[in-house]
Amino acid sequence: MQHQIEFGPAFAWLKVQLAPNETIQAEAGAMVRHTPGLQIDTRLNAGRNAGIGAKIKAFFAAFARKFLGGETMFVNDFHGPQGGEVVLAPGTSGQIMHQVLDGQRKLFIQASAYLASTGSVDTKLRFGGLKSMFGGEGLVLQECTGQGDVWINSYGGISEVPINGTFVVDTGHIVAFEGNNLNFKVRSAGSGGGGFSLKSFLFSGEGLVCEFSGTGRVWIQSRNLNALVSWITPFLR
Amino acid sequence: MEFHVLYRPAHSLAVCNLNPNETIRAEAGAMVSMTRNINVVAAAKNPGEGGLKSLFKGLKRMALGGESFFTNTYTAMNQPGHVTFAPSLTGDMIVHNLQGETLLIQGSSYVAAPDSVTIDTKFQGFKGLFSGESLFFLSASGHGPVLMNAFGAIETIDLNGEMIVDTGHIVAFTSGIKYSVVKATKGLISSFLSGEGLVLRMQGQGRMYVQSRNPSEFGATVGRMLPPREN
Repeated sequence: MQHQIEFGPAFAWLKVQLAPNETIQAEAGAMVRHTPGLQIDTRLNAGRNAGIGAKIKAFFAAFARKFLGGETMFVNDFHGPQGGEVVLAPGTSGQIMHQVLDGQRKLFIQASAYLASTGSVDTKLRFGGLKSMFGGEGLVLQECTGQGDVWINSYGGISEVPINGTFVVDTGHIVAFEGNNLNFKVRSAGSGGGGFSLKSFLFSGEGLVCEFSGTGRVWIQSRNLNALVSWITPFLR
Repeated sequence: MEFHVLYRPAHSLAVCNLNPNETIRAEAGAMVSMTRNINVVAAAKNPGEGGLKSLFKGLKRMALGGESFFTNTYTAMNQPGHVTFAPSLTGDMIVHNLQGETLLIQGSSYVAAPDSVTIDTKFQGFKGLFSGESLFFLSASGHGPVLMNAFGAIETIDLNGEMIVDTGHIVAFTSGIKYSVVKATKGLISSFLSGEGLVLRMQGQGRMYVQSRNPSEFGATVGRMLPPREN
């Protein structure tokens, strides 16, 4: 499978050339165009090998992903006997990045950042703790494991930051991070590792941050969708 | 008349240089700046139309084409002049030079064209069954440049054969390409669930412009984060 990421960082899209019978899984609604001869199979976004007994469980898992994770409830598999080309794009402006999972690597991605994947890559919903649910700044993460490629979309440009020690990122600017050797905790921006400070939470304008410790990479987006929403809201009537 | 587009692709601005007494017609609201000698008239979209006929054509375009009702003409009086245009969304703009062929343009992508280009609403669109998907095309024919805007970057494809394109990503295509509206997947229910709904099957030979973002997808993404409307 070959792929190109074009038109980044502002309006990146993912172009994939599928070999005969190769499959790429994409979030619902991401398709821009594809060549004839490719077939789209739609299924619940809840793991590949759900048996009959697991179907109901899969439904609730997909339901939870949609309403808690900001993800789509269904995903589409693109494939064809002759192969072909498919182009995928996310809803917001921004960049796309590519990561390879080898079965050992664990990647946490911000819930709405998933665009597409191949192979046995699967995502599981994770929460950044109850505190993260405050003020619409919730950090909802997906744990991404398995073997294959994964493509992740951002709102804005993406910076890669290698961490060896500790590092702090606003929750709204997190795209993804490596989960194997990085610990993370969500706290208010002003509490500096101590307790939760209501004053700084309410008045610093920074809301919640994620503090990382250990070693690994974190990817940061240069814009925050929550900030855009807060900016637009007062103009609505 | 000569166009060039600055600040591509994110915040494109089109500059239209006019020779003395040349005229460009553009969608109301698109103008950013102009030289002092430009005379602006709110007018019918095509020259030689007037009165009731023009009024009905305008209403038809507004109701069907998702376009603004008014079109302004900008004329450089006696001297050269220039007008600049910008769309409301971030994204690229592109100029297609018509040489006698017909270009079908998605309603909200049309920005400007000179009098030598005839613009009309082709009732070939559809109202989608799901999620408010709808599609209307304007047809542009004649000779001269047509300025269009897109949401995101623009890919130019010279098609010879077939391609499936999402309705929210099409910008324009020449009439050598025939299109049909089809379900994204085999089944009706799965087409709905797939989030792709209805797509365009483009067949034939010609040029096609595709945008890298879908305005409705963006609206839906931001919209579900907004507080509910009060009334």
